[in-house]
Amino acid sequence: MSRVFVTGIGIISAVGSTLAENRAALAAGKSGIGFTATLPSRYAGVLPFGAIQTTTDEWRERFRISDPGVTRTTLLALHAFSDAIADAGLTGTSLRDPAVALVGATTVGGMCLTDELYRDTTQPCDHSPFLSSYDGASVHLYLQTRHKMTGPATTINTACSSSANAIQYGARLIRNGLATTAIVGGADSLAKFTINGFHSLQILSAAPCRPFDRDRAGLNLGEGAAYLVLEGEETAAGKTIYAELTGYCNANDAFHPSALSVTGIGPHLAMQGALRTAGLEPAAIDFINTHGTATENNDEAEGSAMLRLFGELPPFVSTKSYTGHTLGAAGAVEAVYSILSICHQELYPALNFAEPIPTVGIRPVRAYQPHAVRHVLSNSFGFGGNCTSLIFSNVN
Amino acid sequence: METVQLKQQLKRQIIEFLNLTDITPESIEDDKPLFGDEGLGLDSIDSLELIVLLNREYGIVIKDLKEGRKVLVDVNTMVDYIEKHRTK
Amino acid sequence: MLYIHHTSCIYPQKGLDSPAGPVNNLLKAVEPAYDGIPGNVLRRMSKSVKMGIGAALPLLKYAPDGILIGTGYGGMEDSIRFLNQIEKYDEGVLTPATFVQSTANAIASQLGLIHHNRGYNITFVNRGLSFESALLDAAMLVKEHPGKTWLVSGVDEISDHHYRFECAEGWYKNGISAGEGDAGEGAAAAGEEAAGEGTAGEGAVGEGAAAAGEGAAAFLLNDQPAGALARISKIVLLGGQDEEALRSALRSILDGLSPDLLLSGENGDNRTLKWYRIAESLMGPDTGIARFKHLCGEYPTASAFALWLACNLPAALPGHLLKRPPAVTPRHILFYNNYKFTQHSLLLLERFPCHARDNK
Repeated sequence: MSRVFVTGIGIISAVGSTLAENRAALAAGKSGIGFTATLPSRYAGVLPFGAIQTTTDEWRERFRISDPGVTRTTLLALHAFSDAIADAGLTGTSLRDPAVALVGATTVGGMCLTDELYRDTTQPCDHSPFLSSYDGASVHLYLQTRHKMTGPATTINTACSSSANAIQYGARLIRNGLATTAIVGGADSLAKFTINGFHSLQILSAAPCRPFDRDRAGLNLGEGAAYLVLEGEETAAGKTIYAELTGYCNANDAFHPSALSVTGIGPHLAMQGALRTAGLEPAAIDFINTHGTATENNDEAEGSAMLRLFGELPPFVSTKSYTGHTLGAAGAVEAVYSILSICHQELYPALNFAEPIPTVGIRPVRAYQPHAVRHVLSNSFGFGGNCTSLIFSNVN
Repeated sequence: METVQLKQQLKRQIIEFLNLTDITPESIEDDKPLFGDEGLGLDSIDSLELIVLLNREYGIVIKDLKEGRKVLVDVNTMVDYIEKHRTK
Repeated sequence: MLYIHHTSCIYPQKGLDSPAGPVNNLLKAVEPAYDGIPGNVLRRMSKSVKMGIGAALPLLKYAPDGILIGTGYGGMEDSIRFLNQIEKYDEGVLTPATFVQSTANAIASQLGLIHHNRGYNITFVNRGLSFESALLDAAMLVKEHPGKTWLVSGVDEISDHHYRFECAEGWYKNGISAGEGDAGEGAAAAGEEAAGEGTAGEGAVGEGAAAAGEGAAAFLLNDQPAGALARISKIVLLGGQDEEALRSALRSILDGLSPDLLLSGENGDNRTLKWYRIAESLMGPDTGIARFKHLCGEYPTASAFALWLACNLPAALPGHLLKRPPAVTPRHILFYNNYKFTQHSLLLLERFPCHARDNK
């Protein structure tokens, strides 16, 4: 089966709207989490969020889109997708090739139009421009239609592991000869619906989140989008390659609808499986971009699983203290950060960490540092116990 | 309201709130643990739901799950807490 | 090759003999007692989650290595229940159960939970190609992991709100039930034959589908021919509205084969007839044509019901299925569905009729 390479990247998050901006923030230890989110929720200005400061109207103007049914989630996706395909030199005709796949992910989809959805469910909705925007498929169907893409296309929703699953699915389309190129990733925007959902689960922190810290008090929600262009050996030949996707695995924790097992059975299986597909021993991993949401449950379970698998842990960090938890986009955003680490041979510092969790006693990277990085493991664990791990490797 | 009546009311509210369709108020003993396999078999999502029930029906604010665990042991502990802290 | 070994289905009929028509344009599923789902777990579930689990449960005993779900609407009804709470309590103290159940992967994750299945677990939400995306993933998995078995399912419930939205967008003939038989203006304008052409099960011909439906169909798939009910030899998915691309896809999937039966997703909406005519035009005179949406209604994962039907066709094909009878008992079946004009799915199926069936 063909090797799979990353030849293009596009990303937008609370720390930047370009790849370079995102990298600069990580290297400088500068978080994008704050209290300035402008969204129609009573929690705006009350809870911290990893918000992108550009308004939805500004996005519409930028892209000259007048259709109000094109949601914020779709606009974020469009931004990152456009950067990714330009980066890989894919435009126009090449995107219409039936060998070019699009595998997207989102959990919010058009539910960012929370107030509009409520109106449409309670009043006559005949002239509503939003009816076909609410579902999860709307985001990537828009991209598919806009670019007249004819290859395999789909949307995945497995909660917080969604875009990591999109990445492994796209890679497997290439390895199984169903595509030569796959644009993979995801997008999610801050939405009243999800904010209230997470608030009802009492897992939102009132302060900037503290992944893997003893006193962590929950997660901060964020928004963002990221896409990778994956190509097989033949089509990637002669192109600039960021990294190779060498390992992937999806497994299920099967413990609880919204919490991981204490020992992190699912995370352990996913990480172990990714190592197996990459043909690597745990000691080969130089850096882990953890899921690290800063909930009491995740960080302890993930930490437990990492210790069981690695024994002695490689350096690790959660970048959610920079971007917030970008839900459906998280897997892809963090895949990009894993690749940045490889490209620039550096490790990014954890933010807001002081004391380790007593039961696992592990400490993330504390300061930015140049470091030899050959293989990076990236974890994404979602509601319902859906656990996906990816491994990116240096090709140089 | 008398404690006995409050217990009956609470049992009905628990059943309705948590949609426990195959359980009757009579089958919930006052000291039967709410959580765990030996008791009513509720889980952590139910504990969040019960915190909301206490808020909506009795005006009680329980700040987090840790505090909630002490209150949500059985009907007796819940009624005891309601009687001391209700604002509705 | 994807070999289908076991199937299970919850759909809007008690059987295939005398189908009941829609009520108020809706074909609601005939649900079982859900005895296999613990009461503690059942109480929280939305209808789509119940149906998804109810259909898959009989197959979980075969311990599949992974669970793949396709759903178009996901947890829309629970999303709206949670939304109503947000509005009623002005984003105050809210109960989380409906939020958790509203996530699209609630079905797949509950299935994993009930049977402690720690294998591959994925959910696709791609409207009319959601189930097909799961099938395609399974087709890759059987190559990547020889000898392993996969549970694949397509599930959708009629969401009252979603139905209202889709009526507002003109996807359903609001208030017309099957069998009224009057051609709508659209049918005449399209130059199609007037109602009466719509004999077996088509219902009124005009703009919009005859009925909205729901259901859950589950399959156990692997790479082992021995004992299989059927196999899917090709899956072709198309987007867009290019007629020539559809013709080309049809020719490619058939590759010279003349199937015994075309299983067609015609739903009474005359605007999609031209796509089905393209498929029909490429069939030989001996190829029968059957339709199924009078049994299950229209919904994004109706193709899962169609696959179940294809695997479980009675020896004597009921007349209500047939637009044109096949010359022989169908062994090679071509399935074609068009969802809202722009999503096309083609499956080439071969039935192995000698084996015992799990007809649920």
